[in-house]
Amino acid sequence: MIENLTPPATPEALKQARDDFPILSRTVNGKPLIYLDNAASTQKPQSVIDAVNRYYSHENANIHRGVHLLSTEATAAYEAARKKLAKYLNASDESEIIFTRGATESVNLIAHSFLEPLIKPGEEILISHMEHHANIVPWQLLAERTGGRLRVAPIDDNGNLELDACLSMMGPKTKLVAIVHVSNAIGTVNPIEAIIAKARENGIATLIDCAQSIQHMRLDVQSMGCDFAVFSGHKMFGPTGIGGLYGKRSLLKRMCPYQGGGDMISHVTFDGTTFKEPPSRFEAGTPHIAGAIGLGVALDYIESIGIETIHDYESQLIEYAVNRLKSCQGVEIVGNPDHRSGAISFIMENAHPHDIGTILDTDGIAIRAGHHCCEPLMNRFGISATARASIALYNNSDDIDALVDSLAKVRALFG
Amino acid sequence: MCADLQSLYRETLIEQSRNPKNNYVLEGANRRSELKNPLCGDVVTIYLSVSGDRIDEASFEAQCCSICRASASMLTTRISGSNRLSAISLAEDLIAFLNESDSDIFENDDSLRALSGVKAFASRIRCATLPWEAFQKAISD
Repeated sequence: MIENLTPPATPEALKQARDDFPILSRTVNGKPLIYLDNAASTQKPQSVIDAVNRYYSHENANIHRGVHLLSTEATAAYEAARKKLAKYLNASDESEIIFTRGATESVNLIAHSFLEPLIKPGEEILISHMEHHANIVPWQLLAERTGGRLRVAPIDDNGNLELDACLSMMGPKTKLVAIVHVSNAIGTVNPIEAIIAKARENGIATLIDCAQSIQHMRLDVQSMGCDFAVFSGHKMFGPTGIGGLYGKRSLLKRMCPYQGGGDMISHVTFDGTTFKEPPSRFEAGTPHIAGAIGLGVALDYIESIGIETIHDYESQLIEYAVNRLKSCQGVEIVGNPDHRSGAISFIMENAHPHDIGTILDTDGIAIRAGHHCCEPLMNRFGISATARASIALYNNSDDIDALVDSLAKVRALFG
Repeated sequence: MCADLQSLYRETLIEQSRNPKNNYVLEGANRRSELKNPLCGDVVTIYLSVSGDRIDEASFEAQCCSICRASASMLTTRISGSNRLSAISLAEDLIAFLNESDSDIFENDDSLRALSGVKAFASRIRCATLPWEAFQKAISD
């Protein structure tokens, strides 16, 4: 089969995108930076950096508690960011968006406030073999606390979820299905529609880890029909330390608080406390106000280009990257999923991923080397680590060509 | 290739990584320690056969990068047949040498100075020290 090695054309809306990200004009080890570690964290456009700067320079105050102008402005900006997220995800109401530190904290919140009060000894949580540790460990901890049981849906040798097996593992004991939308390590896009549909038929709650999909494709939580979706801001061009979760209002209203403190209470006496309605119930203490505002501006940036435009372009670029790497002598791609987004993992016969990463770094190329917080997935493929290239809207075929050229140097050194 | 990279991947290091010495499970070892770098998943197991103050034999098994494998090869070669206390002291010195940028105590050591290239790559220092830390754990357990 002749693979398509034609570089994708950059759409008009993305032609100037690189100029929007100031870090992309720096050099690394004397070479122009080629950033292919976007699954770990994306870079930030100037508009996000300016928004955070503007908040601290002109608007800084605590929210939801001051009568003065700054506090009113800060509150409005913070809540506007929540509205933008609700709109981006097509949530039915902005109160369905909770700000957290990121996808990890969101999973922990759902484990603590939603599932822990519900699950009984012997009842089950279903995940997949390709989950990030953030969607494994909180459930293991919960299972230890409650006597619940963690079950793992298998994947095949190509890195696809074994859908029939996954669906057949949902039974009367299953309380929650928590599945990654897009694998951070090997780029598999999972058939979440079929999983959510089966779960809903059986009255099982669903959590979709959208940390690696929210920046690459249109997500509509109402048409997806999931109960919860989690995400991180720094992987979608926003600041670090901010992220969130979507939760169906009917469930959020029944859930207990995650942390106690200021801003989440209705009334406090020494005899007891009553709590605010969602989302405030889950946002104790002063939140990351600057982060939320920055995340809102990151969404503005994505929408100014159009997530569909980004998705179409990235789909072509990732296919180009796969085909270039396939034709690269000595390189073996790990995982060959039917549907891929964002990331490609690979290994080389004689060079360990760390050695690959170090040599690429001297050419200014940033990739990730390691287990990608997916040790069970690595074990499934019988390896301890991979090298991973992951793209974002500002990458282009020149970046992929530079990667391939640099891999030739790795092969020259290690054979 | 840039100078730092040449210094990191010296011929002796590449050679020891491709054809490591003492890379086997030591039957009859009376000390064994496995150490993992949780950041990257690399794992090294050091086997020692110790009698009294003497390390009779040392070997290793590893799932790791070239630097870690070469370092494990150098470690086990160096300490096999050596005095227990001097091996402990060597490990302490080597770990300090790699972590302290201004230390050059192994610059005249024909075998171990090959590891000094990692000093220019902060993220790779642990790759070189991991086998030596595993040895410290094995000998002190």
